[in-house]
Amino acid sequence: MRWLALTLAGPMIWAATFTLVYGLHGVVCASVPGPEGLGQGARLLLIVAWGLGLAAFVPLFRALPEGPALSQRWPYYGAWIGLVATAFTLFPVAISTSC
Amino acid sequence: MSDTTFTAAEQESSRSTDIPRNPPQRALRLHRELSRVWANDKGIWGQITAVSHSTLGLRFMATAFVFFAIGGILSMLIRAQLATHNGAFLDTEIYNQIFTMHGSIMMFLFAIPMLEGLAIWLLPKLLGTRDMAFPRLTALGYWCYLFGGLIMLTALLFGVAPRDGWFMYTPLSSAAHSPGINADVWLLGVTFVEISAIAAAVEITVTILRQRAPGMKLTEMPLFAWYMLGTSAMMLVGFPPLIAGSILLELERAFDWPFFDVARGGDPLLWQHLFWLFGHPEVYIIFLPAAGAMSMIIPVMCRTKILGYGAIVAAVLGLVFLSFGLWVHHMFTVGIPHMALAFFSAASVLVAVPTAVQVFAWIGTMWKGQPQLHLPMYHILGFFLTFVMGGLTGVMLAIVPFNWQAHDTAFVTAHLHYVLIGGFVFPMMAAVTYWMPLITGKSRIKGLGETAFWVILIGFHGTFFIMHLTGLLGMPRRVDVYPDNPEWVWLNLTSSVFGFVLTIGFAMFALDLLLHITLGKREKRDPWEAPTLEWAMPIPSPNYNYASLPTLQHLDRPARDVIMPLARGEGTLPGAPRNRRELLVTRAIGAAPDHVAILPGNTALPLVLSASICAFVLLMLASLYLVAAFALIPVAAFIWLWARGMAPEGDLAPVEVAPGTTLPIHHRARQSLAQSGLNALLVADGTLFASLIFGLAFLSVVTQGPAPGIAGAENLATLIGMGIMAVALISAAWASTGATRGAAMLGVALNGVALIVLVWLTLTQMDDPTLHTRDALRAVVAGYVALHMIVATGMAAFVANQHARGEIDGLTRGAHPGWRAWQGFTAATAVLAMIILTAQVLA
Amino acid sequence: MKRAVFLAPTLLVAGCDTPLSALAPAGPVATDIAWLWWVMLVGAGLITAMVVVLIALGFRRPSETRPRVWTHGMGLWFSMVVLTLLLGAGLWVGERIQPRNDDAVTVRAHAFQWGWAFAYETPDGSVVETTDLLHIPAGRPVDVLITSQDVIHSFWVPRLAGKMDAIPGRTNRTRLQADMPGTYEGLCAEFCGLDHAGMRFSVQAHADWPPDPSETEQ
Repeated sequence: MRWLALTLAGPMIWAATFTLVYGLHGVVCASVPGPEGLGQGARLLLIVAWGLGLAAFVPLFRALPEGPALSQRWPYYGAWIGLVATAFTLFPVAISTSC
Repeated sequence: MSDTTFTAAEQESSRSTDIPRNPPQRALRLHRELSRVWANDKGIWGQITAVSHSTLGLRFMATAFVFFAIGGILSMLIRAQLATHNGAFLDTEIYNQIFTMHGSIMMFLFAIPMLEGLAIWLLPKLLGTRDMAFPRLTALGYWCYLFGGLIMLTALLFGVAPRDGWFMYTPLSSAAHSPGINADVWLLGVTFVEISAIAAAVEITVTILRQRAPGMKLTEMPLFAWYMLGTSAMMLVGFPPLIAGSILLELERAFDWPFFDVARGGDPLLWQHLFWLFGHPEVYIIFLPAAGAMSMIIPVMCRTKILGYGAIVAAVLGLVFLSFGLWVHHMFTVGIPHMALAFFSAASVLVAVPTAVQVFAWIGTMWKGQPQLHLPMYHILGFFLTFVMGGLTGVMLAIVPFNWQAHDTAFVTAHLHYVLIGGFVFPMMAAVTYWMPLITGKSRIKGLGETAFWVILIGFHGTFFIMHLTGLLGMPRRVDVYPDNPEWVWLNLTSSVFGFVLTIGFAMFALDLLLHITLGKREKRDPWEAPTLEWAMPIPSPNYNYASLPTLQHLDRPARDVIMPLARGEGTLPGAPRNRRELLVTRAIGAAPDHVAILPGNTALPLVLSASICAFVLLMLASLYLVAAFALIPVAAFIWLWARGMAPEGDLAPVEVAPGTTLPIHHRARQSLAQSGLNALLVADGTLFASLIFGLAFLSVVTQGPAPGIAGAENLATLIGMGIMAVALISAAWASTGATRGAAMLGVALNGVALIVLVWLTLTQMDDPTLHTRDALRAVVAGYVALHMIVATGMAAFVANQHARGEIDGLTRGAHPGWRAWQGFTAATAVLAMIILTAQVLA
Repeated sequence: MKRAVFLAPTLLVAGCDTPLSALAPAGPVATDIAWLWWVMLVGAGLITAMVVVLIALGFRRPSETRPRVWTHGMGLWFSMVVLTLLLGAGLWVGERIQPRNDDAVTVRAHAFQWGWAFAYETPDGSVVETTDLLHIPAGRPVDVLITSQDVIHSFWVPRLAGKMDAIPGRTNRTRLQADMPGTYEGLCAEFCGLDHAGMRFSVQAHADWPPDPSETEQ
């Protein structure tokens, strides 16, 4: 049971972070319509939310089991899937200029 | 520390699954005994009352194939119209109906039912059990699918079919711009059909988690089961947004509640979000079962084992999650900020990675083994070529600037046909040709199948390859004429000619199947020499699947070594000595034996229940809303009868499944299949609730300015009313933990109080829902909560009734656990809804 | 070999020089996107060829390869590298062609069932309205503010830029630019009901801005 929960944890963190950042971005951008760039404060807020999601992987990776059995490898795969997805899908908060 | 606990747990589970053999018996006697108990009734009546997964799985697939043919004929009409630039073949109104129905049929009446049928037919055989977890639900799903499909087809025959495109964008599909019942046919018909999708998702989940052969651990189960577990999880979470969206749009059309009407605070984009929240996962819901079939067939065709089992399961996990993070790539041109587009562009690109992992694992499997060019392998090669190209154009479309050019052009038409025909139809043809001997017990006629494959392959690429170019040269989707663009004529004419070639190919494929069924010679058992359980039975497969159920010692061995021991009753639960349908239920993780489930036998109740739902749908279509409300009474009555059908009766003694192993029957089990099923249903229900809350949050952000109206949650009376409701529901949840008749009666009373308060609040404290989106959304949330309270009242009354009949005692649990779960869910969603609505007012 | 690689696109482009072709760009926005397309086409062709060859080689005698070469090497690393590069290129182009607050000319496009009402403002403040014919300056970036009267439509001039939807209740902004004066064809790309196919328009790019009133009379 524990290995299944650990395997699902990584993608769940991604889903939560994605929802949080996308939702925040929606609220922020609804208040600055048009082609104006994102304000510094708003960008910082988004980056902090993204960073929180990334930080959540530190305890997850520390909790991972080690060993060759599939029930030990899948949690590791799950954590990497979540981490790569969180880093890859949300990095635009750091580079995208327009709202 | 943690890894030692893992190994300990795994050792324990493998110890507890070592089950001794039953003594061998005469196989023929077992066969007769089981056939008597498990067979369908005779004749037409037998078809009406059938609940067997083999019968219904095949029927799902056959019906889906008929709809595929109908959808195919519609596509030929489209191609005939587009063959020249001034096609006068169809008028625009009919043309719009035809392309809308082509897409809707192929998605909702072909692809989804086809994969459900394959899973329903195959999974019990593959996992080593005798039926799906809820046989009557399988039948209910089938009838809902059939009736819903027939409603849509009838509308097409009478010229009132949906005509707003298969994604039904508002406001084009709203009452103002689409008067008549065309759009209602889509909304009500598709939602009706989706009952079968939710039903299938629930029972597929439960069957995979609870009915695997003892000792078949999750980490070792056949890949198709992993793929289907991923698919059913996605269906549980993916379909509710569509259902929510359809309900909102139908409410707007029928009762003028404005969810998408800009003038009253709504937003048409809410529909697009809800639709694509379903619509993109849908693509993977269709692809995953096909990929699962490939993962089963390729290793057998290559005489080896699959390469990278662990990586493939991880890829499925990645796909399941990521596919929920890219729905906006269908909405790149709606004016969403570039930053959000970038999130979804990145997610859309990333989802190609797990797909690539699978494709390369399959190619690696071919390297590892020695591929043999049997007919299924032809279709697998067709899959590789077509799907890889479709995947690559998919990556192109994930790139935002390119999408701005290609979106809504023939390029996308080409892409989606590459993905769906490449990623679903070719694998399904491989699957059908691979498992056909198990269905018919016959071998096919050589030659025709291969010819059909080549005609299909040439026809397909001839039709769709140049369509990429047609799109880039500017041809938009859904136009019926293009008088000013002679440069598109040769492209379209080529597509049309090859389109007919493609159709001929599919007709040849169908003919091949017909010849196989009628003229095929007797095939030997296990014709492919496969290592999986579904071949460890006589062919054609008997209706009970296994004379005795396989255990750990029968797994992962050549099927031919396992057939006889199982047929002689050396597995668990041999025969049907108690004259009832029994199967073994195991625990979700380690597959240790848990209890014996007694399944219901043949009954017409699924047909009757779905016919009564159909009556409700037809009355809604006829705009007879008051009568439709009364039509829900028979629906409720049949559901009560349905539940009565599972009441404990007869011999409740524990069953000896093998020497020395005695298990309780499900009425006395700690966690029955029904409880697992309810949990799965509540996941879908919770997603429906979340979809409504998403709508609420979305519109709060989008809607500018305050809503008109005076009443609202800020009134003291409202707060007091909500307080009483919360207290009543939480008390009901507490009462539902007590297993006495008094507790159940209290539950009825408390739900009743909450319901009365809610009705009072609705009547006195809420604005007219037609005034503004805010009011309409409140009314919908109130309706959602009310519906759950009504069901909770019914469940509490049912449990009280079971107490009165003496069906619940210290050992036998009756419907009590189900009520408890539902009541808890009702209390939680109601309290959450009240908090959110109050917070919305305060903010 | 090298010559052929360069020649092939050129030949193809010649065949693609039609009024609604996204492959015959007439301004910087459409040109950027067209380049993206040609690069992706070549990449996709190479990857398809690679997969076909790998599958063909699979029919040889069984050979022992390490599973990780397939699942991790090809599946993860190869695809991640290719996709990351592509995503980067896509976002870079996307950022380049965004509307910004600069000296772009702003015109309006209002969609209805079934036609387009266009408007631009002259320096003296008067508004010039046209139907199904949009006037823009040549050689300058133009921002189009897109709105809708009734249902969702989509504004698309393939030779100048990508499309942008016209959605009731919203004002969308898209940027396009025509390098040379001339007429460019446009259409509604989002299905909008009975006369969707006929919802065409033209864009006329003028060397002088605002154009001489005699040129814009309908």
